[in-house]
Amino acid sequence: MEFIGISIDVFLITSTLALAAFGLAIIYGLIGVINMGHGAMLTLGAYLTWYFMSLNIPFFLCIIFSGIGVALVGIALEHFIIRKFYDRPFDTLLLTWAFFLITTEVIKIIFGTDFKNIEAPIAGAFEVFGVNIPAYRFLVCLFTIFLITISNIIFLKTDLGIKIRALIQNKEVAGLMGLDINLTYKAVFCFGSFMAGIAGGLIAPMLSIDPYMGNIYLVRSFFVVIVGGVGHLLSGTVIGSFLIGGTETLFAIFSDQVVSQASVFLLAIVLLRLRPNGIMNKKDV
Amino acid sequence: MFKYKKFNFIPIFVLLTFIPIIFKGYIVFILPQYILFGVLAMSLAFIWGNAGILSFGQASFFAIGGYTFGLLIKFFPVINHFFLGSLIVIFLGFVVAVITSYFLFSAGVKATYFVLATLALSILTEQLAVTKSTLTGGWNGLFVDRINIKVGDFTLLDLSGDVNFFYLILFISLITYLILNYLENNKIGKVLRGIRENENRMLAMGYKTSFYKTVAFGVSGSVAALAGALYAAHASFISPSIAGVLFSTEVVVWVAIGGRYSLLGAFAGGIIVSFLSNYLSTITPQYWQLFLGIIFIVTIIFFKDGLAGIFKKRYERNNIK
Amino acid sequence: MKKNKKNKSIVNKKISRRDVIKSIGYLAIGALASPALIRSAHAANPIKVGVISPLSGAWTVYGKAHIAGFELAVDEINAKGGVLGRKMELVIGDSKTEPRIVVEQANRLIRNEKVDFLAGTFSSAERNAAGPVVKALDKVLLYPTFYEGQEKEYHPGVCNKNIFMFGPEPTQQVWPHMEYMMNKFGKKFFMIGSDYAWPRVTNMVTKRKLKELGGSVVGEVYIPFGTPQYESVLRDIRKAKPDIIFHSLTGSDTVNFRQQFAAAGMKEDFALWTVDDEEVVTTGLGPKVSGNDYVSFDYFMSIKHPNNAKFLKNFRKKFGQDALMNTVGVAMYNAAHMAALAIEKAGKLDTASLRENLKGISFNDAPQGPVTMRKDDNQIIVPSYLMQVNPSWTNVGNMFNEVQSFQKVVPLAARCSLPL
Repeated sequence: MEFIGISIDVFLITSTLALAAFGLAIIYGLIGVINMGHGAMLTLGAYLTWYFMSLNIPFFLCIIFSGIGVALVGIALEHFIIRKFYDRPFDTLLLTWAFFLITTEVIKIIFGTDFKNIEAPIAGAFEVFGVNIPAYRFLVCLFTIFLITISNIIFLKTDLGIKIRALIQNKEVAGLMGLDINLTYKAVFCFGSFMAGIAGGLIAPMLSIDPYMGNIYLVRSFFVVIVGGVGHLLSGTVIGSFLIGGTETLFAIFSDQVVSQASVFLLAIVLLRLRPNGIMNKKDV
Repeated sequence: MFKYKKFNFIPIFVLLTFIPIIFKGYIVFILPQYILFGVLAMSLAFIWGNAGILSFGQASFFAIGGYTFGLLIKFFPVINHFFLGSLIVIFLGFVVAVITSYFLFSAGVKATYFVLATLALSILTEQLAVTKSTLTGGWNGLFVDRINIKVGDFTLLDLSGDVNFFYLILFISLITYLILNYLENNKIGKVLRGIRENENRMLAMGYKTSFYKTVAFGVSGSVAALAGALYAAHASFISPSIAGVLFSTEVVVWVAIGGRYSLLGAFAGGIIVSFLSNYLSTITPQYWQLFLGIIFIVTIIFFKDGLAGIFKKRYERNNIK
Repeated sequence: MKKNKKNKSIVNKKISRRDVIKSIGYLAIGALASPALIRSAHAANPIKVGVISPLSGAWTVYGKAHIAGFELAVDEINAKGGVLGRKMELVIGDSKTEPRIVVEQANRLIRNEKVDFLAGTFSSAERNAAGPVVKALDKVLLYPTFYEGQEKEYHPGVCNKNIFMFGPEPTQQVWPHMEYMMNKFGKKFFMIGSDYAWPRVTNMVTKRKLKELGGSVVGEVYIPFGTPQYESVLRDIRKAKPDIIFHSLTGSDTVNFRQQFAAAGMKEDFALWTVDDEEVVTTGLGPKVSGNDYVSFDYFMSIKHPNNAKFLKNFRKKFGQDALMNTVGVAMYNAAHMAALAIEKAGKLDTASLRENLKGISFNDAPQGPVTMRKDDNQIIVPSYLMQVNPSWTNVGNMFNEVQSFQKVVPLAARCSLPL
């Protein structure tokens, strides 16, 4: 009984983490930008969702609009700033961190610093084997699975996906193949931001909305992507989330919260060392 | 790359020397803390500017130094706190840094991943400081009694007043600068810069790059720890937030603005930017971080070498004519 | 062992870099010194109060009510001519919700701004950080927030003759209502709080009374700041089968937990009693998450007392109809008025006489009803209210329903060497 409860919790945590990390997996994984502003994108998505909800737009549409909003911000960021620094990962790191600082302040100025909250569009919970699962959470998890599966199909099976993967493998060849590199990078950055915005909006009903909420997922997302394997969108993200989220849950059973959180980071560092290229050493996406 | 004129550190230190003479009161009290931030900034510039290793974890060494020093004073009243305590702190900072970096560098972990590991180190240190609350006081923080510098029973320097402590910290900063500068201009600095330019070539030439990187990070860690110890002694208080990610990133901002390739630039950057942000935050609590973020972005895009770089260019321009 | 002053003779006139660095340095220092210069130009001689408030950082949400209460009181005092013919003036320091910044600000306000006394800091950690500073520099600190009580080991953050507590401690905030809650729901407590001094000591003090009344603790969990997911805690709660969840989480963690608690449908199975979530947090939670939960403080906006009606009217006139006030803001309000009364009584203003005259002083216009500062241990004597959140509230006006209240709750004597 206990085991089922734990398994369900691990499932919920893993999928939430995977959802939060997915946007970063795209940006960092595919085009190598260490997006320290990822947390800010999540936060922005949450605030935009809150804003659209206050206009009485249905939740589902709010999410889409938030995604678009963050994608637009992402495109602006890419076009005016990031674009010139693709071959300099440290600079993109710093620039995206500056983006985080500025975005957070702008959010504080526009939306104020009060706690905001969004009610879950689907209330209630249902029981599975004596464990209460919040209905909304469960749906978000299903959606995450759907999302990752679709992305997997796009990147592995479609023409566009193959081209993008080719680009990552070898920039010069991709150029020869007639791919517009700049456009592709832009598209990927845009898509990653879009995903971060959506993730922020979907997670919003589960958390308190404050200017720093996204950053809770920042470091965790990075470890998910790195541990899972940079560039392995599907398997990497899922496995990384499972390892990071799962171990945190497991540790929490045996000790207190602080120790479990600290242990997860320690574990991530150890994994980093053992497998510097990530758990998934295969070259596939 | 950049050749340093031998005595260009003098103006800054002279300027600082005259402060307690000209001004009295509060600024003599608070400036040493900013000077220590300058030293912390130098610890980052040493590895970032030379080896190209960015660290978001300097705050954790700062905190390790501060907490160790404070705990030594609290639990071991008998030992010579200043000399022995400083040595312990420097040693501890070095060891922790070396263990962490060796663990990662020896496996060939890329510099970009290393950054994230240092980020995690900050988080870990902060959690440690919070959770071991019976030892560290947790979020309440740790109070550190003011001590004097003693040799046996003889008081070498009374640190209860602001002025003496000010000059002590200034003196230690100067020594630290000279040591780091010396390292930079000699073999280890050259090897590190070679690693930054092309690590594979250095490896091919027979250098054990992970060894050099580890030692450099160790030096950086011990400098940061010493700065932290002095800070705790001076401010009489240290709390977990000083170990955390936010403070670590502040250090990066100081060095980026001051100039990562210049120890003096980083030193000045640490002092000026931290002072400025504290000052601005009292005037405009809402907008100062926005200004700082914008300055930061502008610096990264247009002034990669920071303030020091700007002055360097003017100097070179002046000299050419 | 003074540092040798280096020779200034090595100066190359062509190099402008050093000069620029120097000028920036001088400018910066001038800026630092300037407030002192500007102040001496002012004619009037106001009473300066240094207020340390969390205006940025993790607890910005609490900063507004915190400082608003003090500002309102100062306006009222100045409207009546000030204190001893002098106006009161606020000098504000932002604590950024960080204890080490509090130390800096306290030093700056006292040494640089030369304030007459301090008011504020918000969390216990912040107050404890200010403790040694106000002790060493001998200035009074008026501390407003509900807190964990004074235990000797936390001196000089507590048990400090210069620090006056204007908020309730657990023997006032929790003890009076335990019997009611236990009779209604049962004797098994599950304690969940943030990981720092206030929740830990509050729980410790609560446990004392709990044992007395025959209750038991079936779980005790401390959550580090910034924890987003509470699955494991919720599972622990279900396993332990408590009757009452005794809640002392703060900041965004309290919102995260309570939202997930409600989403998991656990509100039907367990009663939740919080000693931390006042108007500001409850507003952020929404009625679905917060409805039917129990809250206890010395003040709520919903209290029906003639003083409160008058207070709220003035408060809303100054800050707007939607502005939020809470126990902490009101404590700041009371503190300002009581300090003014003490100074008037003393006839002069210095730390020793302020200290002596604050002891035992009463303030009859406090929004929650008359309050008194106890002589021996600097602890205020306030009412204690147990409220239940209205499940269909729409604004602060109809947010809480009173369950029971006690007008004057005498707290346990502080666990210090008394008198302070």
